Amino acid sequence: MLKKLTALAALPLAASIWSAAALAQSKEPVTIGAIEILTGPNNKYGIAIKNGFDLALDSVNKNGGVLGGRPLAIAYEDSAGNKDQAINAARQLIGRSKVPLILGPTLSNEMFAAGPVANERKIPIVGTSTTANGITAIGPYVFRTSLPEADVVPVTLKTAQQKLGIKKVAVMYGNDDAFTKSGYDVMKGALEKLGIETLTTETFGSKDTDFSAQLTKIKSLNPDAIVVSALVEAGSGILLGKKALGFPEKVRVIGGNGLNAPKVMEIAGDAANGTLVGTPWFVGKSDPASEKFVDAYKAKYNMEPDQFAAQAYDTLFIVAKAINDAGAAEPEKIKDALGKVKYTGVMGPFSFTANRDPAETSGVVVIEMHDGKFRQFN
Amino acid sequence: MLAQQLVNGIISGATYALFALGFTLMFGVLNVVNLTYGVYFSTGALIALYATRHFGWPILLALPVAAIATGLIAVVIDGLLLTPLRRKKAPELASLMVTLGATLLLYSLMTAFIGTDIQRFPPAAIDPSAIEIGAVRITRSQMLIVGTAFAMVALLLALMRGTRLGLAIRALAENPDVARLMGVDVTLVTFFVSFVSGTLGAAAGILIGLNYNAIQPYMGEAMMLKGFAVIIIGGLGDIRGALIAGLILGLLEGLTAGYIASTLKDAVGFLLLVLTLWFRPVGLFGRAAAKRA
Amino acid sequence: MPAFLDDFLFSYQSLIYSLGINGLLALSMYVVLAIGQLSLGQAAFMGLGAYTSALLTLKVGAPFPIVLLAAMAVPALAALIIGAPTLRLSGVYLALATIGLGEVLRIAFVNSELTGGALGLSGIPEKAGYTIIFGSLALALIAFVLVSRSRIGRAMEAMREDEVAAGMLGVDLPRYRISALVVSAMLAGLAGAFNAHVSSFISPNDYGFDAAVTILSFALLGGIGSPFGPVVGVVILTLLPEVLRPLHDFRLVFNGLIIVIAVLFMPHGLLPWRIGRTGARA
Repeated sequence: MLKKLTALAALPLAASIWSAAALAQSKEPVTIGAIEILTGPNNKYGIAIKNGFDLALDSVNKNGGVLGGRPLAIAYEDSAGNKDQAINAARQLIGRSKVPLILGPTLSNEMFAAGPVANERKIPIVGTSTTANGITAIGPYVFRTSLPEADVVPVTLKTAQQKLGIKKVAVMYGNDDAFTKSGYDVMKGALEKLGIETLTTETFGSKDTDFSAQLTKIKSLNPDAIVVSALVEAGSGILLGKKALGFPEKVRVIGGNGLNAPKVMEIAGDAANGTLVGTPWFVGKSDPASEKFVDAYKAKYNMEPDQFAAQAYDTLFIVAKAINDAGAAEPEKIKDALGKVKYTGVMGPFSFTANRDPAETSGVVVIEMHDGKFRQFN
Repeated sequence: MLAQQLVNGIISGATYALFALGFTLMFGVLNVVNLTYGVYFSTGALIALYATRHFGWPILLALPVAAIATGLIAVVIDGLLLTPLRRKKAPELASLMVTLGATLLLYSLMTAFIGTDIQRFPPAAIDPSAIEIGAVRITRSQMLIVGTAFAMVALLLALMRGTRLGLAIRALAENPDVARLMGVDVTLVTFFVSFVSGTLGAAAGILIGLNYNAIQPYMGEAMMLKGFAVIIIGGLGDIRGALIAGLILGLLEGLTAGYIASTLKDAVGFLLLVLTLWFRPVGLFGRAAAKRA
Repeated sequence: MPAFLDDFLFSYQSLIYSLGINGLLALSMYVVLAIGQLSLGQAAFMGLGAYTSALLTLKVGAPFPIVLLAAMAVPALAALIIGAPTLRLSGVYLALATIGLGEVLRIAFVNSELTGGALGLSGIPEKAGYTIIFGSLALALIAFVLVSRSRIGRAMEAMREDEVAAGMLGVDLPRYRISALVVSAMLAGLAGAFNAHVSSFISPNDYGFDAAVTILSFALLGGIGSPFGPVVGVVILTLLPEVLRPLHDFRLVFNGLIIVIAVLFMPHGLLPWRIGRTGARA
């Protein structure tokens, strides 16, 4: 039985050696792993992240690779958004491909499943898009470069309070999704802290399309704004529903990270106007490094990057720097180097806190949707 | 607020009913739970989307063309999957399983080619402004949904009760073997029913896509869960029952979210479903109308 | 342990575990299919088992054997509640009602503070291992082989072939149906408990409709002539995507295709032989 399984196992192994050999220039490449959602319903996130990695990878390898001329390579594993596949991918990257570091996985849920595996084997794992609470509490080998919602949402709400004089709001959140639920928890805390009154809290399912019942109730309570934790699909639906019910124009939607996507404006059209979100990065950011990234991304992929691509792009440089600082492709050394790394990328200055979360929040900007484009609000 | 909530409930109820009509018709006449029905819902919306977007067709042209095209796809799927099983006189669960497999196959193929990003009809497809009657607002696409749902029920009932074709369909629903002996061309009528049902599913997908602007391959799957509740509560195969059950479900959901708690909104349908199964498994109105009328 | 074997076991541990867990799930599907019924609630029963066991471990600190028993008892209760009204009716009702069950449970898990809502439960200790998972699978297989050789097995087969005739021959249809559903729910619950205790994290969306359909495809590929069929189906459907990468991306397409082909062209699956019946053709 075992013999047979070994034979089966050899097949993909042979394939990966072959493709790695084709990639190698002169020296043996340093291969790190990445677990992202490349297929299935949420693959838009994984693909944006992969694009960001690949763009940065081109640049790293064009400039001499890592560790004195060794090319850097990424072995991608698809998690399909499924936690069992994410665990499987982590185990195979560690046990079979022997990667010294793993990037990803895409969703917080997947990190809760795959993080403990990497942590147990003392392999650093770096999330670039996992914003839920408790991610880095999994263990000392779990890092993330994405600002948790807890750092972004309070800035958004505070800006809205100061600039728009918002006093009472209605809250809506998707209660069947880990990302939107944990976004809501942060909103609730931030609203209490800022002394903004919550008139009502309404929930919906992430696959819902009809929000009229909740919105009708909210309209009858006359809030100054609606605070929404939703993904793109439901978020767009809420904006359209709000318009259909004829809310006064001054009642804006204030969103979490889920609404921080150009897709929302594409779907909701002018119903999205005035929507506020906080973001660690946005495509219109006036900063030379950021503009260069946007141009390169557009040239390579023929579309605009989103924050997931930007975070992935910076993360790959951060990781490459840590590998160089470590002086060897060894997990323990890379982990220590990650803890000390300082880097300034398209999102601004970056370093890790002692808890392996991003230390800098100065890069957070509040942006506003306006006629199909994001523009700076604060 | 109450008036608007009632209108909201009627609109979403009409949405459920419109979706459930073709589904329950297929069950009532052909005696199969055809799970590929959700695929027709998505396919119709996607075809109409491409027609309006790439050929610039107006929605009034795209809707019937996409609906008819989907109806033909439904006939092909029926011919490939269900006709062989009917010939073999396979148990009814075999047909449920085969459509289950086909559903998974078709959804994943669709997503492999076009992804799962939501898309919408061009904003110019329908005038988005709402009409205000007192404190109540209703948009054109919403009126279209409610109007179509009622019109389709009336049309279907007229077809079933008032025409020779309807007689043949009812005979088929009652007993295919007897119908054949009575001179009904069973194959032809079966295909006709599949066609009508696919057309209805597609039309529902297009109208609902037009209203909620969230078109993607899996839109049918999300709708299926409500669809099950509606056709069981209304009685499997009961056309009038589907309309009434849809409206009841929509209204109860709206009122629950508006006056009790939105967390319970989704539970309403399934609570009704469980109560129906326990106390009145034949549905609100008893025996399927298609068989009785 | 030599290093390469250690690495091998580490790399493929979750794959090997899922062979065992999926094997139990496939058998849970088999019991129901074997009497000619269809349940699409296997994933829901699994989820009930997973949550029951995880809560008992995390919040109560109950010993693992007790946890496993409870993980079988709770889904069994759910099976009784849902089976009692629907099993009196035609098979379609059970199929639809079990889909409903999955949805009701998802809503309950999502809305309950106790179950961690959409965030699920994390940090579940790894208490299940090779011995208990594959031991349970072996026990279940042996039990099913013994049953299928007995009078009960013949009655079940008669029900699958022609329910009306079976009823006239004195088979107590309602009792067989409800017993099969309860046994099936217990097996799925056990599989769920193992799943929770090897993957450290569970959330409400892990036990949805797709999971239920995948379980069905295991059983249909292998065939339900004997309890070995579904297990063969599991081995193929779990390992094949690992070996053939393109299959990995089209896993769902492939599962769907298998169900279609199995129903249309090979109603007896890959393993058409029946226990104790070599010679008799279907």
